[in-house]
Amino acid sequence: MHYPEGTVRSLLNTNQVTKATRQALTERLTSPAYQPQFFSASEFALLQAICDRLLPQEADDKPIDIAGGIDKRLFQNESDGWRYDTMPADGDAYKLGLAGVEETAQLFFQQAFQQLAGSQQDDVLLNIQRSVAPGKTWEHLPAGRFFEELLTEATHIYYSHPLAQEAIGYVGMADVPTWQRISLNELEDREPRKVNG
Amino acid sequence: MLTETVDAVVIGTGAGGAPLLARLAAAGLKVVALEAGKHWNPATDFATDEKSQEKLFWNDERLSAGNDPLPFGSNNSGTGVGGSTLHYTAYTPRAQPDDLQLRTDFGVGEDWPLGFDQLEPYYDEVEQFLGVSGPSPYPWGPTRKRAYALGPLPINGAGQLMERGCKTLGIKTSPAANAALSAGYYQEGVGHRPACANRGFCQAGCTIGAKASMDVTYIPLAIHHGAEIRPESFVTQLVQDASGRISEVIYIRNGQEERQRCRFVFLCAGTVETARLLLMNNLANSSGQVGRNLMAHTGLQIWGEFEEDVRPYKGIPGALISEDTHRPKQADFAGGYLLQSIGVMPLTYISQMARARGIWGQDLKRAALAYNHVAGINILGDCLPYEQNYLELSDEKDIRGLPKPRIYFSNGDNEKRMTAHADKIMRDIWDAAGAKNVWAFPRNAHVIGTCRMGTDPAKAVVNPDGQSFDIPNLFISDNSTFPSALSVNPALTIMALSLRTADRFLEKYK
Repeated sequence: MHYPEGTVRSLLNTNQVTKATRQALTERLTSPAYQPQFFSASEFALLQAICDRLLPQEADDKPIDIAGGIDKRLFQNESDGWRYDTMPADGDAYKLGLAGVEETAQLFFQQAFQQLAGSQQDDVLLNIQRSVAPGKTWEHLPAGRFFEELLTEATHIYYSHPLAQEAIGYVGMADVPTWQRISLNELEDREPRKVNG
Repeated sequence: MLTETVDAVVIGTGAGGAPLLARLAAAGLKVVALEAGKHWNPATDFATDEKSQEKLFWNDERLSAGNDPLPFGSNNSGTGVGGSTLHYTAYTPRAQPDDLQLRTDFGVGEDWPLGFDQLEPYYDEVEQFLGVSGPSPYPWGPTRKRAYALGPLPINGAGQLMERGCKTLGIKTSPAANAALSAGYYQEGVGHRPACANRGFCQAGCTIGAKASMDVTYIPLAIHHGAEIRPESFVTQLVQDASGRISEVIYIRNGQEERQRCRFVFLCAGTVETARLLLMNNLANSSGQVGRNLMAHTGLQIWGEFEEDVRPYKGIPGALISEDTHRPKQADFAGGYLLQSIGVMPLTYISQMARARGIWGQDLKRAALAYNHVAGINILGDCLPYEQNYLELSDEKDIRGLPKPRIYFSNGDNEKRMTAHADKIMRDIWDAAGAKNVWAFPRNAHVIGTCRMGTDPAKAVVNPDGQSFDIPNLFISDNSTFPSALSVNPALTIMALSLRTADRFLEKYK
């Protein structure tokens, strides 16, 4: 079961979406390839590899750029309003955490994270998530919290993208005509139905 | 302007500042409001998009400590003319009389230094002015003197499911009271506001003005009566004269330091920023209580997946309420809580699911695919003040060079027992309604306390009129003064108290 493709994209060009909404979503949809400004090239590649495990994407010519979104936020020094007191500043936490992922991968498999098979990468990440991963880095950085913050931010960036919203059948952005059919199982014509296959 | 002395400076334009600002202006006082955030134009500035509306949250970093560190930002704090009401869900139940006397009834927590009779006329006034939509009669609490201004909003999918589960279990429910219009509404001094479009986006900004955020209600009324609003003005200092009164407020606008002389100051910046400003300036704290008694509502959410199409982005998010759990029989805790159905926007839902359940990979994508079929129930419950929960200034500096606040929060036994009680009830409701894949999101919402009101200057920061014991021309009007957390959302009570504070002030000083 999945939702049909193209639902959000086709709504974006109609008067069912406000100008501000269209602008916000179109920008995200058409953003050019991003060059890292906060992370080094190797850190960025590692972060991309991790995000591929957290939110796997089909082989696509234009995947949703999660790592780019994280880099951009850190480069612009933006915050979401709070931070766990046990964690260092966001940028330091990410740099330290990436080093920790690499360290754990080496200790487990004597190989770089990016060289590992998918299931081995998951093993590394799961141990970090459960705060039982080996490595000196994790003595300075709470592994579980690092994973929680990374997963939450990656998820946030991914599902803010119009293509990810299409995939879950969300069309709340098309609110100009108002929603009149709001009871259980009541759908407006512009709301997509799930299809088989 | 620099040399002019205005009657009052109001710091913050949210639920605590805006009603009071309008009242003082209507009484003919020369008043200036300083607001840290921008003055938005909802129609053009607010996209129906969660990420682009993050600009409405208070995003300056706060440090969250304790066993249950509190999330800020999207969870509970706003910026912009209108403050946190720009992104409140407009859920406006009244507190009940016994909410104000926890110590009397249970021997723990604190009583309020004023009774329900002091708040009731203001509840009524605020509800009529905002155009609150709600049922008549309302099934819980004292009999209301007037029906809500408008009939209830339609019940969405989540509300219908909760109603179904509650009916099976014999739990009474009702459409909730929401400060969103179920029909067009006209107010002198404000103008016409249209009916709610069911766009479900209340936790971000309303684009059409149907939701009663302060920027479309009390702020236009205040401007109508001659108040001046200065947006993007971040207050850093309150300057005392030789007699100890605040004579001047210093703020940063466009990177420049500006000053405003005044006869009175009303600090309405919310639980965190109000306490932070006082601590930074070492003011109004002879009791040592500024930053203490910090509370946060128990806010457990239970989510489930249903066969039915729910489309949780439609309709008012908090559509259905039950206050049958206000004082549950044979409860092993003090106080109580309310139950409400919740709809949710996808980004909020899926990110909090990732955080709380820790699922990722294909599991996460599968769970996200169920979004159109999810519904939630939420509680808001009382929270006791504890020694271990407080706000302090950290050594870390923000972008302005000011100390970041560090907030300690750990749920006590009372909150844990209340949450366990609610967890069972909500799971039973969802079981009865036919939910699958039920999961819990433990959380605390609505940060409250830090500048408690009371009658004893050794134990409280302000008196029952919101006036500082230490500095007679300084008043506080926001959720920082609440002596207890209440078993309901705070916004309506903040507004009611704001009008009361204004009236008490005008009686005495005008």
